[in-house]
Amino acid sequence: MRPKVVITGMGVVSALGVGVDANATALMQGISGIRTARYLPTDHLEFPVGEVPMDNEECRRMLALPPGRPYSRTHLLGALAVREALEQSKLLDHNGLALISGTTVGGMDVTESLFPEPLPEGMPDVPDCGASTNDIADTFGCFDYTSSVSTACSSAMNALIMGKLLIESGERDIVVAGGSEALSLFHLNGFKSLMILDRERCRPFDKTRAGLNLGEGAAYLVLESETSALNRGAEILAVLSGAGNACDAYHQTASSDDGEGAYLAMTQALQDANLSPRDIQYVNAHGTGTPNNDASESAAIRRVFGENLPPVSSTKSYTGHTTSASGSIETAFCLMAMKYGFIPAQCEFENTDEQCVVPVSKSNTSNADLSYVMCNAFGFGGNDSSIILSRYE
Amino acid sequence: MELTEELKTKMIEVLNLEEMTPADIDENAPLFGDEGLGLDSIDVLELIVLLERNYGIKIADPKQGKEIFASVRTMADYVAANRTK
Amino acid sequence: METMVTHRVKLTPECLEVDGQRVAEAVAGESFLMQLYRKYGMGYPKFFKMDVLCRVGFIASELLLAAEGGERFVPRADRAVILFNRNTSLHADRSFQATIADAEDFYPSPSVFVYTLPNIVTGEIAIRNKYHGESEFILLPEKSETAMNQAVERALMDKETTSVLAGWVEALSEEEYEAEMELVSS
Repeated sequence: MRPKVVITGMGVVSALGVGVDANATALMQGISGIRTARYLPTDHLEFPVGEVPMDNEECRRMLALPPGRPYSRTHLLGALAVREALEQSKLLDHNGLALISGTTVGGMDVTESLFPEPLPEGMPDVPDCGASTNDIADTFGCFDYTSSVSTACSSAMNALIMGKLLIESGERDIVVAGGSEALSLFHLNGFKSLMILDRERCRPFDKTRAGLNLGEGAAYLVLESETSALNRGAEILAVLSGAGNACDAYHQTASSDDGEGAYLAMTQALQDANLSPRDIQYVNAHGTGTPNNDASESAAIRRVFGENLPPVSSTKSYTGHTTSASGSIETAFCLMAMKYGFIPAQCEFENTDEQCVVPVSKSNTSNADLSYVMCNAFGFGGNDSSIILSRYE
Repeated sequence: MELTEELKTKMIEVLNLEEMTPADIDENAPLFGDEGLGLDSIDVLELIVLLERNYGIKIADPKQGKEIFASVRTMADYVAANRTK
Repeated sequence: METMVTHRVKLTPECLEVDGQRVAEAVAGESFLMQLYRKYGMGYPKFFKMDVLCRVGFIASELLLAAEGGERFVPRADRAVILFNRNTSLHADRSFQATIADAEDFYPSPSVFVYTLPNIVTGEIAIRNKYHGESEFILLPEKSETAMNQAVERALMDKETTSVLAGWVEALSEEEYEAEMELVSS
């Protein structure tokens, strides 16, 4: 029988603040972190963003890293989240851990600041995505295995899935998995060119939704075989009970009308967890706020759950779309919802759209005792993932 | 060059319609959907950039693109009426 | 885990090998990728819109699947697509950077931006073949058979997945690329 994969630690950094407490408090109080850019040196201040409310120097000091060299923000945010996860799981003094990190932007911010002019041909190695993972790992003395997953906005969730598989296959007992992504000029301009950035705060599933706000942040979970956690006496936060990954196979960036990839991913996650749709008590949707994603995801959710829709919401109205980190940040939010017994209510929602599910918003927020929660993350390339967390009993 | 021909040439270039010539594009045929050129949502965005770059026309809402880019003819009419360069 | 490689393809700017046999060599003129596209009558206009990483992945996968034979383009979810490289989508990244480098001529290109992700190549292969299974693009510090085999075996542990289209696809430019792709079954 395959080992049960449990979660014994989490760390989060987002526009809502540094650490689980700051993030959980903001989610429960319904306070969004989306505002005008303060640290990203962009001219496009008309697009609000979900920036982590600290500059790189503050992050560096918090991590007690030596001054005098540039640090990628992806590294700094990631290291802050990993440290919190390791502390909670009491693993800071451990050796031989694996780190799997999702990112797409990697060290782009450093490249942009050091090379404002186009890079010369034959330029030696610039920091690749994997470098930011190694930088995060090297900040601690715990890791002897690193891997980076880069599947656009499902990267961090796929890192969690990869961690789950490593444990189930018996290759590893403990894996720290998640993702980190800093804002960069490169991808802000790219999303602008796709005309999917909203000038207002994003309104997932709202009839007036007009796009997403970019965000940044990092979250990591400590995944562990149940046996290892029990042997160590670690506190078990939840079980990572189901995971699914499927391809929409429709378009490079657009989602299909019927949400086939999302439907398959959610269905597979349910099968993997051996649950039926009616067991799920909350869905943290990918819900980016773009007209296309939200309609497609709604179609998929309706196909999976039929008439009995569980409460659904998108926490991107709090953090912006943290792209490659969103899968682990939002999974961490699900863990907070289970721990504190609440359903995160969207802070922006007014107008129901027939094409979309009606999310939980401030007007109908409720306390909840959650045993089974689903979280979705979809990426360009049609790479769609879904995972299920279950209460540990 | 006539505006419709000019637009066809530019479209072939920016949309990488490698195996087509301006003569292959019927100015009244739909650009989107299965029966026409079969362009997609990214192509709309690229056409919006084309209008801004070459004719100084700014389109803020991609939804407007549906009507403007119905065919080469409608695109030419729109450019003629709104160009600033 | 017992796995079996059923077909393999190796593509470089000089030559193409299918199942160990050299089946085509570049001749003077247009790029080898274009020569192969025409020679094998692939008839997929979207090819011309792709960045070089996707073009290399597309051509290699078309030839691999031609070697497999059988009916194609039937929707299926039992085949995963897992590709690897070291330099992600660097060529497309540079092309996009060029469209935002000059403040006087600042027109970020949407059609270039969509290719600034390495996993678009896995997506393009899935779109072409209607594969709804797992798709993954993994970056490695260097080509490692061990790491690649592990990822393929992991995917095959999933009962949904019965075969994997897997391989190394690196493309630095139209002249510098390498694809080694194979079909692996459990």
